[in-house]
Amino acid sequence: MNDGGPVSSAAAERPRGTEGEDETSTGPSGPRGGRWPFWLPVGVLLVGLVVTGVLVWISASTYSSNENRLLNLRVRDAGALVAEALPSVETPLASAAALADATDGNVPKFMQFIAPYTSGKTPQFASVSLWRLGANETAPLAAVGTPSVLGGSPARAETFFASTARKSKLGVVGLLQGPKPRLGYAFTSPGLTGRYVVYGESALPANRHSKFQSSSSFADLNYALYLGSLQRPEDLLVSDLKNPPLTGRTASISIPFGSNSFTFVVNARRPLVGSFPQRLPWLIAIIGVLLSIGAALLTVRLIQRRNHAEELAVSLEQVADENRRLYSEQRSIAQTLQHALLPEALPKIRGVETGARYEAGVEGVDIGGDWYDLIALDEHRLLLVVGDVSGRGVRAAATMASLRYAIHAYPAQDDPPATILTKLSKLVNVGATGQLATILCALVDVEAHELTVTSAGHLPPLLISDGTGTFITSSVGVPIGVNTGATYTSTAVSTPRAATLLAFTDGLVERRGESIDTGLARLHDAATANHSDLDDLLSRLLELRRGGDDDTAIAGLRWLD
Amino acid sequence: MHFDLAELDGHDLSVTISGELDITNVDALESAVGSALRHHPGRLIIELSELRFADSSAIALWVRWSTAVHEIELRDVSPILRRVIDSMGLADTLNVKP
Repeated sequence: MNDGGPVSSAAAERPRGTEGEDETSTGPSGPRGGRWPFWLPVGVLLVGLVVTGVLVWISASTYSSNENRLLNLRVRDAGALVAEALPSVETPLASAAALADATDGNVPKFMQFIAPYTSGKTPQFASVSLWRLGANETAPLAAVGTPSVLGGSPARAETFFASTARKSKLGVVGLLQGPKPRLGYAFTSPGLTGRYVVYGESALPANRHSKFQSSSSFADLNYALYLGSLQRPEDLLVSDLKNPPLTGRTASISIPFGSNSFTFVVNARRPLVGSFPQRLPWLIAIIGVLLSIGAALLTVRLIQRRNHAEELAVSLEQVADENRRLYSEQRSIAQTLQHALLPEALPKIRGVETGARYEAGVEGVDIGGDWYDLIALDEHRLLLVVGDVSGRGVRAAATMASLRYAIHAYPAQDDPPATILTKLSKLVNVGATGQLATILCALVDVEAHELTVTSAGHLPPLLISDGTGTFITSSVGVPIGVNTGATYTSTAVSTPRAATLLAFTDGLVERRGESIDTGLARLHDAATANHSDLDDLLSRLLELRRGGDDDTAIAGLRWLD
Repeated sequence: MHFDLAELDGHDLSVTISGELDITNVDALESAVGSALRHHPGRLIIELSELRFADSSAIALWVRWSTAVHEIELRDVSPILRRVIDSMGLADTLNVKP
């Protein structure tokens, strides 16, 4: 019957009846949380890519520096190996030179000594010859092996021998071009007679191409060996590549060789630190990019969900608003109906001031069953009625309306209050409708200062005069509805001058857990303490019911003299 | 509000009501007891010692029950409630026992 939901009083009291359907389309205020912007995924992607880039750079530079370090170590090792092989070139020539010096150019001895170095499958020297310096000779004293290339150009030989004389170390003539390129070098004896030069030529590998043995610890390197410090193609002595120079990450070392030097260059065929560190930057890049894209997509999804939730919240809010609107509309209808069932205006009778109040109890959409009425019977008499139908809602209001209009009909037949209530008791049957109505009916003779009070189970009215109040306790009959054959009796009271009569329903005085007498005493005290006009008194008395949840009706009448 | 319905010697009915009985829950009590009343039109004893509060709709319900049975009796009515019932002139109708 009464299950009014919670409603904010501000919303309930706002007049909403004239508002149209457009409220839902315009909608309430915007979303509260705010939408997540759509650039967020792009931001996430960018951050992810930047982080990925930094990680890639770190891993790549770590790999690079490790690789460089290892390559430098390897080129030093390999260079040392090459350097160790050099004495095998220098020693035979030096020994032969010393021998020639000691034997004063003894050719057979020279030939005998040097022959093993120029024969065999892979002779160390393609050609070795013995020269005497300062002899202005254009031919060697002796020659072993194939004819020397240098010997073919005596002018160059003379220049070379002159420059290498007495240096007592290996002189390098350089690369000798020809059908088969050779490297030529000479050693001058440092001895007393010191005029002999042993000159050798080594054949370079065909196409200057030679691989490390696959079992070598350097099999994982490419190399190139240059004469001199410049890595020029024409200075290339040998390389394992068919098409030098070496590319990519290279390391080089300079190896002293007689009057000249070698430059040994290597690069790695495969990463020296292993393939994983080499691939790591790529792995990081791929995983990082994938993660960034994944995070961006996830963000897109989250944004979609959040925005969807926001939209849902907005539409829920709209539904709630609509419900609030409908609720307040219903409440407004209930209030309109309630007020329609109450007198539009109170009758004006000369000699008295009248006033009334109605206050709905529970904040709900139900109509209450309380009412008041003031009915002018003639120029100096009126009927003051306050009633309360049990329960709430349309049924209570309908019963209340039928009782109220019936009361309007009976006094027209000049019935006294007791008769009116006796007749009314036939209209309601609690057994049939479950409803009771308590009614106070007071006939007021303004001129005679007389009251005739009849109560059908209703609280007594309060009569105030000169600051003292009295509840007019008439004999109380049963409420209307208990017994269709009930009869009522009246109590007549004379009223003092300037008296005030207040009739009210229980909502004004009843509080849970408190005796009704306490509430009546509170009303008595408040009413007698107040000396303002009737309208103000009624307003103040309504404040007594603060916190009460029952409907309240008060009707008041004050004699002006 | 809580209530217990008990049958007394097949013809009479006892309803014990506790807590607060008002317009918000009076319908539940009415529908629960209503059918039992039709089968026990004899005496209805309403035990109210545990009832803390009853509003006018509760009193209206008891009055309604009083019309449905041969005899009704309200027992252990609190002074506060007794005062309300008296003020409504219903002490006899509801046969209030102290």
